[in-house]
Amino acid sequence: MVAALTTDQPSPQTQIEPLVRLESVTVSFDGFKALDINAFSVGESELRVVIGPNGAGKTTLCDVISGKTRVTSGKVFFGGVETTKMRDAAIARMGVGRKFQTPTVFDSLTVFENMELALPNERSVFRNLFGSVTPEQNEAILTVLDRVRLIGDMYTPAKYLSHGQRQWLEISMLIVAHPKLLLIDEPAAGLTDKETELTAELLLELKGRHTIICIEHDMDFVRRLNSRVTVLDNGKVLAEGTLDEVQANEQVVEAYLGR
Amino acid sequence: MTQTRIKAKLEKDGLPDLDDQSPEAMRSRLLFRASQTYLARTPPMQVIAMRIGGIVIVFALFFVVIPLLTSSGVVPYYKLNFLGKYLCFAIVALGIDLIWGYTGLLSLCQALFFCLGGYAMAMHLSLKEGGGDVRPEYHNIPQFMFFNNLTTLPAFWIPFKSFTFALLAGIALPGIVAGIFGFFIFRSRVRGVYLSIVTQAVAWGAWLLISRNEMLMGGTNGLTNFDKTMNEKPSWIIGLYLLTLVVLLASYLICRAITRSRLGKVLVAIRDRETRLYFAGYQPYAFKVFAFAVGAMLAGIGGMLYSPQVGIITPQNMNVETSILMVIWVALGGRGKLWGAIFGAIVTNVTLSSLSSDLPSLWLYVQGGMFVLVVLLFPEGFAGIWASAEKQIAEGARWGRAILTLVPLFAVALFVLMEALGLTPDAFRKVVFHTSNVDVQLKYVLLILILGLAGGTQVLLNQKPQRKEFAPSAAAAN
Repeated sequence: MVAALTTDQPSPQTQIEPLVRLESVTVSFDGFKALDINAFSVGESELRVVIGPNGAGKTTLCDVISGKTRVTSGKVFFGGVETTKMRDAAIARMGVGRKFQTPTVFDSLTVFENMELALPNERSVFRNLFGSVTPEQNEAILTVLDRVRLIGDMYTPAKYLSHGQRQWLEISMLIVAHPKLLLIDEPAAGLTDKETELTAELLLELKGRHTIICIEHDMDFVRRLNSRVTVLDNGKVLAEGTLDEVQANEQVVEAYLGR
Repeated sequence: MTQTRIKAKLEKDGLPDLDDQSPEAMRSRLLFRASQTYLARTPPMQVIAMRIGGIVIVFALFFVVIPLLTSSGVVPYYKLNFLGKYLCFAIVALGIDLIWGYTGLLSLCQALFFCLGGYAMAMHLSLKEGGGDVRPEYHNIPQFMFFNNLTTLPAFWIPFKSFTFALLAGIALPGIVAGIFGFFIFRSRVRGVYLSIVTQAVAWGAWLLISRNEMLMGGTNGLTNFDKTMNEKPSWIIGLYLLTLVVLLASYLICRAITRSRLGKVLVAIRDRETRLYFAGYQPYAFKVFAFAVGAMLAGIGGMLYSPQVGIITPQNMNVETSILMVIWVALGGRGKLWGAIFGAIVTNVTLSSLSSDLPSLWLYVQGGMFVLVVLLFPEGFAGIWASAEKQIAEGARWGRAILTLVPLFAVALFVLMEALGLTPDAFRKVVFHTSNVDVQLKYVLLILILGLAGGTQVLLNQKPQRKEFAPSAAAAN
């Protein structure tokens, strides 16, 4: 609700804390600076698209937020809590859901079982040993699966799904998990036009309810999302604004087309 | 389960009209579609009949036919004793299947857990009055201690005088050791080959510890000469055999419940893609520790039933080779299938024991050849054979074809059964060859021929892709 306000200005303590905040974060791999961000923040309920040429550090940005990669220096905050040194599973339990670039689902489990594992608040050994799906959870899963047209395949092992269906399954798993923040890495990669359309619709439906950071290459897809865009290049934030603003930016054009 | 109930309810209430766009009606239609998918999944009657038939035959065989054959004198008692031993191994194999087949952790120290249970029971039996020998000087201490000039019982032996303590120790000790050890290695995310190496090192260390400890643990000779009466009394042999059988059944049911719970799904997810679980908020190490500890406890239970039946337990039972062999049982039986693990353990051990006595100079080659053949022709193990027969029936193939598929499975089962009960050599000798030693080699040649031919036919028959039913059917949803 207050998203637009907080993202525009650097936020002093008194202002409402954005959901995700990075403070002078750098990540180096063997001396190569993959990420070098002064300030980056995404507010509550915002849909933010991150674009940039190959190797710009988009995925590394997601890795840093979800705790997969440790920062070399700087601080990461999620919901006002510093997560710089926290473990990936702990960050995930705070409400950070992640969809990877290549769809990662559990191949030998069926679609329904994949969804079952994504249900929130069921992470301890004994709750999993004795717990079963409640009728409400069952219905929540079915509703999402119906939406992504996977209900007819819900007892099919995930390894037999097509690429697009796997993408949707992974997004569906995020949806039932109800995270505060969704990190979505290239949801449209390798999809047909029709599938891309459905994916964009899904993200737009989620927009009001979750905060979303979406990485994407496909400009048509980005245009369809109609949201604020951050451009990364060489690990740095190059520009931020609407897609039109960003596309008019000369630096951005240069980064994409080369000098 | 939930879905069938929903379907029944919807059918009773009647489905709402298609034009009805109210949320309630949409919800009913959604649940109805879901229950349709659920019902489409349930296996056809023929497959269920196959399963029930298989279960009935196996139960009748192990619970009724074999004990009756023994008590009526057709099968010698020592053979039943051996069979009881293999059933102990089957309990261990169940644990390995849980750890390796489902969770994907290749642990190479299961024999250690097996021996923890085995030693606990053996220690108790060595302490029973007159356990070591009838002479009074042996009464309070096991024989080997007396030979080592020990006259008082070491403190850690004392609680083992109680049967209850020994029983609890045999189950809990492997669980605790596995729990602590697992906690540290899994929490630091030791995976794959490194896990195998670490567990192997532990198995080796424990082996050294016990085999060098002659004063307190019997050293290389292990514990023996305890309660001799047990192995000789027919009633004890049958009793222990039946007890092992019941414990095996209970272990199977427990493992089945675990693998079917949501926890079982998490275990499979760990095997499939552990890193994904981190980002879903799971801490896979807790689940791994659980599976590891349960597997270890099953191994301990197997060991506890093993030592009274065999009458000796030595560090040889816990060396690294034994642990590796245990994994092979499961690999042959079919990892990720519980009954496969049981089948694999029995098959490998029966063939191993009869091969090594029939062909003393060649048995390692024959055994190796069989491993290679099975892995090449049936990569999913013996359980995979049954699964593909079920699949053929479900797809509407003729029974003949499914039976052809099952030939290698049946051939191996029959061979193993005859061998285990000591019926093969005599039958061959009397019926086919009168007096000759050819039959010994012949039966293995026959077995390998059957496996090879049937496997080869299957490989040829299954050249055509058969993935029809898995084609994406997004359209069917609406």
